[in-house]
Parts: sequence; structure tokens; C-alpha cells
Amino acid sequence: MRLHQTIAFRTAWVITRSAADAEEAAQDGFVKAHAALPRFREGSPFRPWLLAIVANEARNRVRGAGRRVRLAQRVAEERRPDDAVPSPEAALLDSEQRDELLAAIERLPQPAREAIACRYLLELSEEETAAALDCARGTVKSRLSRALERLRVELGEAEA
Amino acid sequence: MTELERRLTQLGRELDWPETPELAGGVRARVEAAAERPGRAEGRRARRRLLPPAGLRRSLAIALVGLLVLAGGVFAAVPSVRDAVLEFFGLQGATIERRDELPAAPEFRPLRLGERTTLERARESLGFEPLVPSAAGRPDAVFVKREVSGGELTLAYRARAGLPEAGTTKLGLLVGEFRGDLHPQYLGKIVAETTSTERLRIDGARAVWIEGAPHLFFYRPPDSDFAEAELRFAQNVLLVERGDLLVRLEGAFGRERAIELTRSLR
Repeated sequence: MRLHQTIAFRTAWVITRSAADAEEAAQDGFVKAHAALPRFREGSPFRPWLLAIVANEARNRVRGAGRRVRLAQRVAEERRPDDAVPSPEAALLDSEQRDELLAAIERLPQPAREAIACRYLLELSEEETAAALDCARGTVKSRLSRALERLRVELGEAEA
Repeated sequence: MTELERRLTQLGRELDWPETPELAGGVRARVEAAAERPGRAEGRRARRRLLPPAGLRRSLAIALVGLLVLAGGVFAAVPSVRDAVLEFFGLQGATIERRDELPAAPEFRPLRLGERTTLERARESLGFEPLVPSAAGRPDAVFVKREVSGGELTLAYRARAGLPEAGTTKLGLLVGEFRGDLHPQYLGKIVAETTSTERLRIDGARAVWIEGAPHLFFYRPPDSDFAEAELRFAQNVLLVERGDLLVRLEGAFGRERAIELTRSLR
């Protein structure tokens, strides 16, 4: 269970944007998954199945938009992918680009935003993203394609 | 992967995700609570899965016959029991039996803690005033078993500093409380020869500290079939009498910490 609890909790958080709701959703998801284990098809991948249950619990908890924490409020300013210490100018540039990207994600419609968050921020596979968002893989592909195109336009990176 | 996709992936790795809470203890307790609720198909299925295998039930039945005989005061009349039981003593609400060989039991069994509730609601429904170890803070989960007269309270604490995770419960601390005067032998323990068992007095209250090799632990609900009573391994345990209550603290902590927790019961 510990193997999956972080990804389950974060997937629930992407949907609820509330740590308390995400914790409840993940916990309920695990409990329901345990009860449904006899119906789990042996040989199928476990993680998409689990994430589908947890994400469904998370969606049941989304109540109003006012309580959501914005992704932009949760960027770890001090974290970098490597241990290199950036120059102040580079850090500022990085920070601006990151904020810009986050703001652009926030402006996406909810289905597109969740698809981007699951597929790229959480690094779920297409199959896992489809399970978490309760849609077909084809739908995930088309949502992602449109969302990426819109982000490029927002960021002024669209090809002429 | 395009440059934008790469940047998005990198952004996810830099995002300050909220800290993932420890879910295992709560999930386990709720799975157990679901298994206990009668009348629900899901619970019935879970309960069937939780029953010990036939071989274990036989071993348990043999051990319980030993306890019944001891409780009946006919110890000397049954040589086979006398041979197997090396030591026997008890507190109000609990019996502890030392044996040269433990019956087989699964290493881990889901805990049967009863119905999840809050401390406030538990206080209203129990036949006693709940005690909380203030040294551990507020419990992460509260459960009440109502089939026991007076009720049985369980406080569950996740592992944290000063409360290391116990292999038997996957929790930092489990506190159980019930009216020992109403159930003189409700809780049973079977300890192996290698398990250290020490009688203590904590501020005048009688107590027993059980440490070392995991020992078997079971409840004997009133009017239940003993062969299907709960039997599981427990880690370090302090049993202490507090007035009419028997309080049981289980965890991976040591004796001094257990005494400190007991002294903080309010």
C-alpha cells in the first residue's frame, strides 16, 4: 500500500486541491479497493485500477471552487532539479517562466488542466491518466493535444 | 517529448506537493471496522476472509481450553494443561498464560477495533470516562466496540517521534480500555517462554509489562464461540488497572516510555 499511497494522494489532490479532502479520498479509495479486490481482474495493471477508485472518491469531494489551492501557491522556490546554485538572474528567469507556465495551466478549462496535471505533473501514463479522469485513452490524447496547443499560444510559443 | 512537455514534467518535480499522510493505519482500521459491521454483504465477505484457518482455530481452541480450566480452578486435575502452562497470572480483565510453545498464528491480522467514532461521541456512549494519554496527544482515530458491556474504547495513534511503528499493528500506539470489573477475563494473552513478563506497580496501580518476542493476544467476547475469537500477535504491551478500567497500551516503544504514557492518562 505504501508503494501507491503518494501517487494516490497526489492524484486526489490534483482533483480536490485540498490536502484534507485528498487524504480522505485516498483513504476511502484504498478501503473500497480492498473491498473490491475479488473483482479485480488478475493480470490487469493494478495502479490504473486503484487510481480510478481514488479519483472517483476525490471527485465526490469537490465542493465549490473557492476552497481550491492554486498550483502556483505550491511551487517550491528553493527546489531545483540538480544541486547547482543558479545565478540570481537565472533564478529570477526560471521563477518567472515557471510562474508563467503555472498561471497558463490554471487558465485552462478543468478537464484540460486535470489531464495536464495527471499526465505531466504527476507523470502518470496515458492509461493511468484515463483511469484517473474516468475517460477513454483517446479522450486523454485529444485533451492533452488541445491543452498543449493552448499553452503554447498562451506562452507565445505557437508556431506561425 | 517536446520542449513544453519536458518543462511541464520538470515543473511537476519542482512542485511543493502537500506532504503525503500515512494512510496505512487508518485504512487498516476502517477495513477492519467494515468487516465487523454485521448485515452488510461486503462486511460478511471480509469477515469470512478474516477468520483464521482451520488449523489455527484448532490450536486456539486447545489454548482456550487451557484457560477455561485455569479459570475454573481445576488446574491440578488436568495434567496435560499443567505440563503446558508454565506460569499463569492475571489482572482485573486480563489473563496471561506462559506456555512452552505458542500456537501458530498469522504474523499480521487486521485489527478488530469496532466502529469508528470521535472522542466526544465515545465519551457519551461508554459506561466509563475515557482516558487519553496526554503524552501522545489526541488520537488519530477513535473506535468503540458496543457488544462489550460498558463498551470498549480503542485509541489509535500513527507512528511518530517517540512512537515508533509496531510491526504487529503498523501503528505507533494502540490504547485499549474497558471495564475490567465487568469482564474479569475478557482479554487473554499467551506468552512464550522467551517473552519477558514483568509485574509492576505504577503509582500504586497493578500492571504487567510484556516485552520481547511477540506474544498472542485475543479477546473473548461474551457469549461468543471461542474457536472464532480473535487471535493475533502483539508487540510490547503494558496492561494496567485504573480503577474499574483495564488499560492496554501496545507499541514498539520500551518500558519507560510505556510507563510515561500510562502516567499521562487523563
